[in-house]
Amino acid sequence: MDFLHSVLVKPFTDMAAAPDFLLQVLWEGTVSGVLYSLIALGFVLIFKSSRIFNFAQGIMVVFAALTLVGLYERGVPAWLALPLTLGVMFILAVAIERVVLRPLVNQPDIILFMATIGITLFLIGLGETIFGGENKRMITQELGIPTGSYIFEPFGGFVSIEQRDITAVVGAIVLVGALLLFLNKSKMGRAIRALGDDHQAALSVGISLSTIWVLVWFIAGMIALATGIVWGSRAGVSFALEVIALKALPVLMLGGLESVTGAIIGGLMIGILEKLFEIYWGQPLLGGNTEAWFAYMLALLVLLFRPQGLFGEKIIERV
Amino acid sequence: MQTMMRMTALSAAFAAAAAFVAPAALAQDSLYVPNLSYRTGPFAATGTPIMNGQRDYMTLLNERDGGINGVRIAYDECETGYNTEKGVECYEATKANAIVTQPWSTGITLQVLPRTNVDQIPVLAPGYGFSPMADGKVFKWAYNPPSSYWDGASMLLNYVADGDLSSLNGKKIVLIHLDAPYGREPIPLFEKYAAEHGFTFLPIPVGVTEMQNQSAQWLQIRRENPDFVFMWGWGAMNAGALTEAARTRFPMEKFLGIWWSGHDGDMAAVGEQGKGYRAVSWNVPVSDSPLMNDIRQHVIEKGLSQIGNQSELDWVFYQRGLVISMMAAEAIKAAQEEFDATVITPEQMRWGLENLNIDEAKLEELGMSGMVVPFQTTCANHTGHGGGWIIEWDGSKFERVSDILSPDREVIEPLEAAEAAKYAEANAPWPANDECSL
Repeated sequence: MDFLHSVLVKPFTDMAAAPDFLLQVLWEGTVSGVLYSLIALGFVLIFKSSRIFNFAQGIMVVFAALTLVGLYERGVPAWLALPLTLGVMFILAVAIERVVLRPLVNQPDIILFMATIGITLFLIGLGETIFGGENKRMITQELGIPTGSYIFEPFGGFVSIEQRDITAVVGAIVLVGALLLFLNKSKMGRAIRALGDDHQAALSVGISLSTIWVLVWFIAGMIALATGIVWGSRAGVSFALEVIALKALPVLMLGGLESVTGAIIGGLMIGILEKLFEIYWGQPLLGGNTEAWFAYMLALLVLLFRPQGLFGEKIIERV
Repeated sequence: MQTMMRMTALSAAFAAAAAFVAPAALAQDSLYVPNLSYRTGPFAATGTPIMNGQRDYMTLLNERDGGINGVRIAYDECETGYNTEKGVECYEATKANAIVTQPWSTGITLQVLPRTNVDQIPVLAPGYGFSPMADGKVFKWAYNPPSSYWDGASMLLNYVADGDLSSLNGKKIVLIHLDAPYGREPIPLFEKYAAEHGFTFLPIPVGVTEMQNQSAQWLQIRRENPDFVFMWGWGAMNAGALTEAARTRFPMEKFLGIWWSGHDGDMAAVGEQGKGYRAVSWNVPVSDSPLMNDIRQHVIEKGLSQIGNQSELDWVFYQRGLVISMMAAEAIKAAQEEFDATVITPEQMRWGLENLNIDEAKLEELGMSGMVVPFQTTCANHTGHGGGWIIEWDGSKFERVSDILSPDREVIEPLEAAEAAKYAEANAPWPANDECSL
């Protein structure tokens, strides 16, 4: 009986007893959700256009953030380091298309997936050689990102909201909006979607596979840079940023691998629900650290009823 | 003709013999000291400066002294990425010629511990690993000088209680820890203390994927409103926790860490906001020591180091790396002297490790006064229990703010003995160190 009470009643009485705390939990969940969506978007874009599950997305976040900070540490001003880093990510996209992807056209998906593991290992080595393994401070203030906080006092309590987090949320919304606009309204964007729908048909109407691949890998690089700046400003820039890519996997399972909307909604759902579960059920009843598995449980539950994810395309193969 | 054929056959035999003997002869000129290091992966930020320090000390001995008593040190790293499976692979790949192994994570240490008994290679795990390894009568091949995690936990508790543990009655202490064998290591001792002294102890785990976004953990800390938070963090978890503590305005004077959570590189993420954060540490940087001068002259200026920038030389972790290699080098020296040999065996190295006497005089002789707490190991005491200092972040660097603290051995020893016995029973037949009469 006590157990049922602690599962079904107590969490809700706790929420009602401290609504300011609940608001704080919801805000933190929203911020986490936006960050998860950002990482997942990088995967979705590449998968949409090439059916490649990009294992290197995590290390691209590290590499982009390290390049930005590394350039700044070598005396390049922040305003210049940002476009230069984008330039490096563009060169990387071209190099990946030329050296890795082009020779593997028409190979099975698993070969291309393995190739992205190779890219990961290469970027780990390259990053370590050029920038070293030490933790570096993200140049948050130098990039003009505010670092103060707002304190609100609702219901007699307090809610603290970091300006940095607000910037991250607004930045992510702008980035996603621009991306959706690009994908839906521009010629190139439509070409990416066409490739995602049917490679052969897209090629037959003259869409250049190599141009589109360079483009999507570059956009994934831009997203990686944005992700690196936001996450790096929380705890520094190091190779540890790579593991945050793991947080995107349940988002992709939940939202669907091909859906930009799925990545956004899935990320937000996981961010908010895992935070609520950890605080009100996980920590009091299960000893905490439920965030490590909660998102996967949620995704599995969804997959039981919708194997293609919430927003994924249902693929029917005729034989 | 027959004579000629015999001569030719003899020459061929000599050539073949030489081909086989040559590598063995080369191996005789050096002592192979492998290190299961990690300069990549999520924990590289904390691993790299320590590995740099370890490498540089061995380079110094080779460059300045021509090795140890004329034998060069073949220091080698095998990259594990702090991954237990890779760590075991590295151990297997390097064990053939190793005189000692350094597993560099509590998880890897626990995995290689039974193997080293069979392979008869001593494990050097300074300040980490399984705390009951201190019991040399049970763990014949494992060494964790100069202080164990349980020593660290005891020192932190006594420090915040100002030596009177009864003053903790009714208080609440949170342990925010990496959800790994390392992070969970001090929990049994904290629970024992909590039961004895009437304080509430609450462990809060942080998973590897949550290291950089600990908002849930710090929301819980806000809700629990503890009197003190202790941290057993590593890698990006340290910087993540410090950032969240600063963000949630948790008073830094109530936040203290173990020695692996006292890293200058992590503090850079919070800078001034981290002012007042403290950690217990068995080493402190002494940048104007004779040893550091030698390191600059013989290693750094010759371009033989892998350090990122010069400021790393003053870091707690870089100089801890130097101290750790010093322990290995002093064990080699002790064994060479005892067995009147220059090239020693793993068994002789084991003797060296359990006869380390790093006292003030020895530190003075090595040019390392004040860089590490003095300690002494024996066949029964593989840790030395030298204690540690409290170091405090002043906004730009760590400063020593206490005298040497000592662990509460009366409380720890029975738990060590019980856990060591439990381990031996669970891994039976476990060979005891019967030669030790202490």
